[in-house]
Amino acid sequence: MIPHEVFAALADPTRLEVLSRLADGGPATATELSAAMPISRQAVTKHLAALDAAGLVERHPSGREVRYTFDPEPLGDVVKWAEKVGDTWDQRLGRLSRSVE
Amino acid sequence: MQEERFEEMAGDIAVERTVTLPADPGSVWERLTDENLVGDWMEGDVSIDARPGGAITMTPEDGAPVWGTVEEVVPRRRLQWSWRTDDGLPTQVEIELEQVEEGTTLTVRETLLPWTITGLPPQWGGSPFPRASLSVAA
Repeated sequence: MIPHEVFAALADPTRLEVLSRLADGGPATATELSAAMPISRQAVTKHLAALDAAGLVERHPSGREVRYTFDPEPLGDVVKWAEKVGDTWDQRLGRLSRSVE
Repeated sequence: MQEERFEEMAGDIAVERTVTLPADPGSVWERLTDENLVGDWMEGDVSIDARPGGAITMTPEDGAPVWGTVEEVVPRRRLQWSWRTDDGLPTQVEIELEQVEEGTTLTVRETLLPWTITGLPPQWGGSPFPRASLSVAA
């Protein structure tokens, strides 16, 4: 079973950009992220909540703010999904190929 | 000959496969859309109404049924449908055929549909298949 939250989190381009910035640029707060992106702090906070629900970020309270770090672990599920779908098509296309030979 | 590619881009999580088949596009198209032939290469019991808005269902011998809607039909060239897979994830399948010297090159791409298009996941009450994106081509 694949967590829907992981796919939901990755399927939004803005949210994926927030995640990419954490993955490439290291830990950051919502304020820092919103300064680097053309969206409000409130919008960043909403995206971070979705990423947190999917287990793709970790929260580290720091003073009055929260720093977020990227957690790649749930991405293994995406790879598993892709492998399963790919294997299924390999089998289908193998049968289709034999049926026209 | 098969190429495999796993792409992970913004809002576009997809699996793609390409195969060259020793048959003309008409024969391949028949195997994709003829109810009596499609079950030979897809799993179990398959029914497809190859018209935009038509139903597609697949009942594997050892799994839950998969059901969806045909979205685009260009005979001998392109077939697209969206369906909900057995683990509940809505995906879109695009199949394109191209005539080549050796026969027909078939490219299939299965893309995870973003929730921004599909609304809430089905178990939260959302509809997995919006009809708004249906298109007609003859």
